[in-house]
Amino acid sequence: MEIKKTALAGTLESSDIQITLSPATSGGIQIDLDSAVASQYGDQIKDVITTTLQGFQIENALVKAVDKGALDCVIKARTVAVAQRALEQTEPAWEVL
Amino acid sequence: MADIRDLHLRVPSVKKEWIAFLASHGLSGFSDAEVASVDSVIGLFDGDRLVGTGAIAGNVLKFIAVDEGDVPGANFNQVVSELQTRLMMAGHSHMMVFTKPQYETSFGHVGFTTLAKTAVGVLLEAGAPGIKQYLTQLPGVQDQAHKQVAAIVMNANPFTQGHRYLVEKAAAENEIVDVFVVSTDRSLFTSAERMQLVQAGVADLKNVRVYPGGDYMVSYATFPAYFLKSGDDVIRYQTTLDARLFRDWVAPTLHISRRYVGEEPKSHTTAIYNTVLAKELPPAVQLIVVPRLTQAGTVVTATQVRQALANHQLATVQDFLPVSTWQFIQDHQDELLKRIAKGVNIRGN
Amino acid sequence: MAETEERLRRTMMFVPGNNPAMLKDAGIYGADSIMFDLEDAVSLQEKDAARDLVYEALKTVDYGTAEKVVRVNGVDTPFYKDDVRAMVKAGIDVIRLPKTETADMIKELVDDVAAAETEFGREEGSTHVMAAIESAKGVINANEIAAASDRMIGIALSAEDYTTDMKTHRYPDGRELEYARNVILHAARAAGIAAFDTVFTNLDDEAGLIRETKFIHQLGYDGKSVINPRQIPVINAVYAPTKAEVQNAQQVIAAIDEAHEKGSGVISLNGQMVDRPVALRAQRVMNLAKASHLVDEEGNYVEE
Repeated sequence: MEIKKTALAGTLESSDIQITLSPATSGGIQIDLDSAVASQYGDQIKDVITTTLQGFQIENALVKAVDKGALDCVIKARTVAVAQRALEQTEPAWEVL
Repeated sequence: MADIRDLHLRVPSVKKEWIAFLASHGLSGFSDAEVASVDSVIGLFDGDRLVGTGAIAGNVLKFIAVDEGDVPGANFNQVVSELQTRLMMAGHSHMMVFTKPQYETSFGHVGFTTLAKTAVGVLLEAGAPGIKQYLTQLPGVQDQAHKQVAAIVMNANPFTQGHRYLVEKAAAENEIVDVFVVSTDRSLFTSAERMQLVQAGVADLKNVRVYPGGDYMVSYATFPAYFLKSGDDVIRYQTTLDARLFRDWVAPTLHISRRYVGEEPKSHTTAIYNTVLAKELPPAVQLIVVPRLTQAGTVVTATQVRQALANHQLATVQDFLPVSTWQFIQDHQDELLKRIAKGVNIRGN
Repeated sequence: MAETEERLRRTMMFVPGNNPAMLKDAGIYGADSIMFDLEDAVSLQEKDAARDLVYEALKTVDYGTAEKVVRVNGVDTPFYKDDVRAMVKAGIDVIRLPKTETADMIKELVDDVAAAETEFGREEGSTHVMAAIESAKGVINANEIAAASDRMIGIALSAEDYTTDMKTHRYPDGRELEYARNVILHAARAAGIAAFDTVFTNLDDEAGLIRETKFIHQLGYDGKSVINPRQIPVINAVYAPTKAEVQNAQQVIAAIDEAHEKGSGVISLNGQMVDRPVALRAQRVMNLAKASHLVDEEGNYVEE
């Protein structure tokens, strides 16, 4: 799926993660992650984001993620929200949820 | 948890409380115009107590001030987060903030990248496209790595023989010239019109590339400086940021080794700008100051063209203009005069 | 009436739907019910993100034995249908409809819930509903609303909007709510469902919270909505049975057990017949006593 516009979801509040998703023409899903726990959980956070975006058939994207200690379910929920906003989908993504 | 509410500054008591809050955080003395330029203002409330504020204007975050709550950084993060969400809703996926140096770390913690800083202020960005993306995606810049590349930044309001003279000189002395046209829309000629006129005016020069300046080649007059006292300090801060951003990001990414500017004997502000560029750019980038083109003993400036237009004496400046610009003004004279009548500032740059 | 076993509903804690920190911790405060809010606590531009977040939280966070309730956006909003579908898919226990004014609104909700259960393969009838009454019209129609569906488990007064509709606002003594409180309670009891009182908004006034909770406890409400976890132990303390009430309930239950063992059809205590209401009240008192940790495993009363 082609990303239509840059979108943002999530906040910078404790236990949340702010994700900005913007289009890219190549390079796969490239994630720039800011997190206090990046050394321990960075790969896991990126994995949740990548898997969720793949669920939308997004192949190329630039992702900026600012993590404030989010649980996996929060990371997934924010990724779903930002993907739907960037794809301009309004119907909930039942197959991804 | 504190909650976010809108602050409508047209309500006198709200504005008064807001001003007092900012003052208690060392932000004061800014102009009414600075305040009027904001698109929306938010307040962070703990119960009925204001504990934080922030505003957005265009794609810029402004007037951010917070009390430290129980959890360090929480109020700041909540305010910035809300402003970012609002900017994104308004279609600004790329956002900037100009702030005091002590807030650089706080913005860094929430994903902002520092573009340039001075002892009194720092310029940061977030969102997409970022500066790297903007620069590397300019068409045609891929071949610049091993060439002699020069740059010129101009507002071109409108493009004159003076601008043409500067570009021609740079084109003759370098393999490639990148001309950046300031994108800020605060001039008599819109940014699209200025782009079009520059492109038309240099179309015959094969080694010249014209680009919109985007958010980066900002006219120094548009850097917010509401948190500084005033006068020369402000100009010096703004121009230093501009120069360092060019030196640290634009020049290395595009392999630019020279920057051309017109000499400015008349304007105090521009004189400071050129002094600052001379101080900041070398040795990475050589600054070349070119004396102004004169026509019949008069220095050619865009200011004079606008003045002549306003006074219905266009013929007096025909010699200052390339054919393309002259033709454009002829064709759009009524529209331009309407803008002047509506109060567009024709002085300044 | 959707249930046979009486469930404790002393506290229903409001959790803003777009707040990950509060969603994460909502289960640790001992609220009997947790109400995830997609409506008033979520700004218009965040409705989608909040729905995604509550969905994922319901799927992964362990909320223990608490009853999971979600307040969806109103039937007249563009968010309502997808809220209902997503929450049914996530396996929510109860959907709370805001601004309920008629029984038809509940019937419409029930139809939408049933359709979503089919769509997402949930057990038919497993999703319950409740109504929040927030207007004069809602109060007037409370009886029909409470009895509108077998899926109904409760009816709640939501006083902020209600007092606005009544052209007043909330006062510390709560007299402006007298009529609505009584009507809603009667509607609930007549329909055999739970009655929830409104929130007490002044977090700094614990004495006021105690006073108001004692009052609605006296009227017969099941419990109160709470906006801050700090209010939960305060309300639970008001609902805790006294030592004498606990002992009496234990006696009733002992009499029932004894009669069962003897195969006797008639149960009596102190020369009085133990009928169904007496038995139910004893069960409720024991539930409260256990929830308040007033009795141990063997049924001994635990002295403070």
